[in-house]
Amino acid sequence: MPRSRLAHTAWIPLLTALALAGCGDDSDPFQQASSALADHVLLPSYQSWAETDRRLADSARAYCAGEQNLEQAREVLLDAQTAWAALQPMLVGPMGEGNRAWQVQFWPDKKNLVGRQVTNLLKAHPQLTRADIENGSVVVQGLTAYEYVLYDEAVDLAAPQVKASYCPLLVAIGEHQQALAADIVAQWQAKDGMVAQLRDFPNDRYAEPSEAIADILRLQVTALDGLKKKLGTPLGRQSKGHPQPYQAEAWRSEASLAMLGAALEGAERLWNGGGQPGLRSLLGDDQQALAKRIDEAYARAREALVALDSPLGTLLADEAGRARVNEFYQRLDDVHRLHQGELAKTLGIQIGFNAHDGD
Amino acid sequence: MKRRAFLGLGTALVAASAVGGWTLTHHAPQPLLLSARDDGDGQHYAVGYRLDGSQAFATPVRERCHDVYAHPHLPLAVFVGRRPSRESYVLDTRDGRLLQVLASPPDRHFYGHGIFDAAGEWFYSTENDTRDPGRGVLGVYRLEGERLVRHGEHSTHGIGPHQLLWMPDGETLVIANGGIRTEADSREKMNLDAMEPSLVLLHRDGRLLSKEQLPEQMNSVRHLAVARDGTVVSGQQYEGDPLEKVPLLAIKRPGEAFQPFPLGEAQRQVMNQYTASVAIHDDLRLLAVTAPRGNRVFIWDLDSAELRLDAHLPDCAGVGAVKEGFLVSSGQSRCRLYDCRRSEIAMQPLTLPAGLWDNHLRLA
Repeated sequence: MPRSRLAHTAWIPLLTALALAGCGDDSDPFQQASSALADHVLLPSYQSWAETDRRLADSARAYCAGEQNLEQAREVLLDAQTAWAALQPMLVGPMGEGNRAWQVQFWPDKKNLVGRQVTNLLKAHPQLTRADIENGSVVVQGLTAYEYVLYDEAVDLAAPQVKASYCPLLVAIGEHQQALAADIVAQWQAKDGMVAQLRDFPNDRYAEPSEAIADILRLQVTALDGLKKKLGTPLGRQSKGHPQPYQAEAWRSEASLAMLGAALEGAERLWNGGGQPGLRSLLGDDQQALAKRIDEAYARAREALVALDSPLGTLLADEAGRARVNEFYQRLDDVHRLHQGELAKTLGIQIGFNAHDGD
Repeated sequence: MKRRAFLGLGTALVAASAVGGWTLTHHAPQPLLLSARDDGDGQHYAVGYRLDGSQAFATPVRERCHDVYAHPHLPLAVFVGRRPSRESYVLDTRDGRLLQVLASPPDRHFYGHGIFDAAGEWFYSTENDTRDPGRGVLGVYRLEGERLVRHGEHSTHGIGPHQLLWMPDGETLVIANGGIRTEADSREKMNLDAMEPSLVLLHRDGRLLSKEQLPEQMNSVRHLAVARDGTVVSGQQYEGDPLEKVPLLAIKRPGEAFQPFPLGEAQRQVMNQYTASVAIHDDLRLLAVTAPRGNRVFIWDLDSAELRLDAHLPDCAGVGAVKEGFLVSSGQSRCRLYDCRRSEIAMQPLTLPAGLWDNHLRLA
């Protein structure tokens, strides 16, 4: 792989070598936070996700063999959905690259591509194998297609022939997800993998610890913005106030809010480090007011979410429900803005400059 | 300063420092890195740095700039306003002194790219005719003393022209017509359903020599690099479905048609339908491309299309060839030097200021 060909050993004449304070220095707070986040937040989250996908693959086989009922299969799916959602703010590294995330969750699905492509795929391959989905569209490889099979009205799993016709797809998706997650975890743990690159500087990916922290924060901010879109789209913020409940992520399983909650929790763990140094630890004594405001913003967002005690689709059906969803949206917006604006500025981190430039 | 005096000074400087024939050896002058940059407060600058990190100048400018083009032998450069700017800036590259704020004509704005001819007498820039929004115009300016004076214009034979470069004959311009119509004072894309991107070869007198298109109508041809042998490479930005497989790099080898550059699927996917800057290393016959949405820098062998580098660099921006390989800037990270002289490419972070570099850089 060309990437691994990079070497640091070459001496480049005349160009002054970097002598940056803090490189490889254990007392550098950026290095400490980056390393601690890798060990205590990021890697464990990826491992939890991989574990839920291992169970998803088992569950698909068990359900299809009649050893698990539909309810049990749906519970295992929900675990996989929320474990994946928790990773949304943590897509630093290989999972955030090359459209891999679409292999897990396909959103937004404005034209019900999932339903149509699952139907077409099974028509074309009645004896579906894993190779058929590996070679097919990302739309049929992930949890969204799995959810479609377990929940959509069009799929009557109570009828044995119908269940038998969809089971190869469930098993193939389970195996695909398990393999994908295992591969990503392996890339995190490899020698010179993501964990090492977040700990030892400089490396092929990061010249210094602040670049790693910048990458983490930037992807967290992107994810927080994504959460607003995932809530704002069904809320009708992109459609002149007309609610679009079927544009929610995981609307079929009514897992939309659970997934948003898991993602918010993931973002908060990056912020507070889960008891270890995280982004919060990088704020100095004179910046504690900002730290408190961010703590409070997370707490208020959590409270607003807890107050949403019905599924998103139900809440969107009436004015009072929409007002409560909107309250949660505003609290997510607060969290997003504090990270994108003040936190980034205080840490001296530039959030995107050219990437959305369009030139 | 009178023109004669200015030219005299320039000639003296050329003689003293061998500008244009620099090498990265001890005691020889280092190249001057020119680029548009911002500071953390959003103030725009036209900057010049030596590669050891020392600042030659950082001149505050009103409008954000995009590309920059150095005069072939005088110590001046034009920092071109990013669309829809109506200003570009002529600077003295020795001290950053602002020599001229070049205003576009009333019904024109700059698109961010411009170039001097080899003699340094004429300057050409891509511009928008805001009375007929999107109609591509090639602005023609003459250097008079230390000032550019508008001399006329030609059609670029396309919509929304972006980068332009010289073919090796020095008489033919290659122009990327991005195909996207925007209006005055706006960056909003008005015609995504009817885009007309094209690659045009134009004689400097305005004669259309060829116009070629890629099959995908929404694949905006934006940035260019030209090799010494006349090979043209273009970088695209696709405005259509994020999942669609479209050629984000294309190549026109001498005597051949404009066609997709063979790009590995893994590299195509990671680009997120967006390329930024393109550069060719003539001696090493390498092609480098930045993909800031995918946060990746790529290097290929220009002739065999073999992938040589696929590296992470958040918000990577400008790329330019230096003796050792390529220099790459970033909107967010440290600039990198990729030394490509051996089969293993070696990366070195540079002591230049980190982040906030705009999408193009030039080495003078």
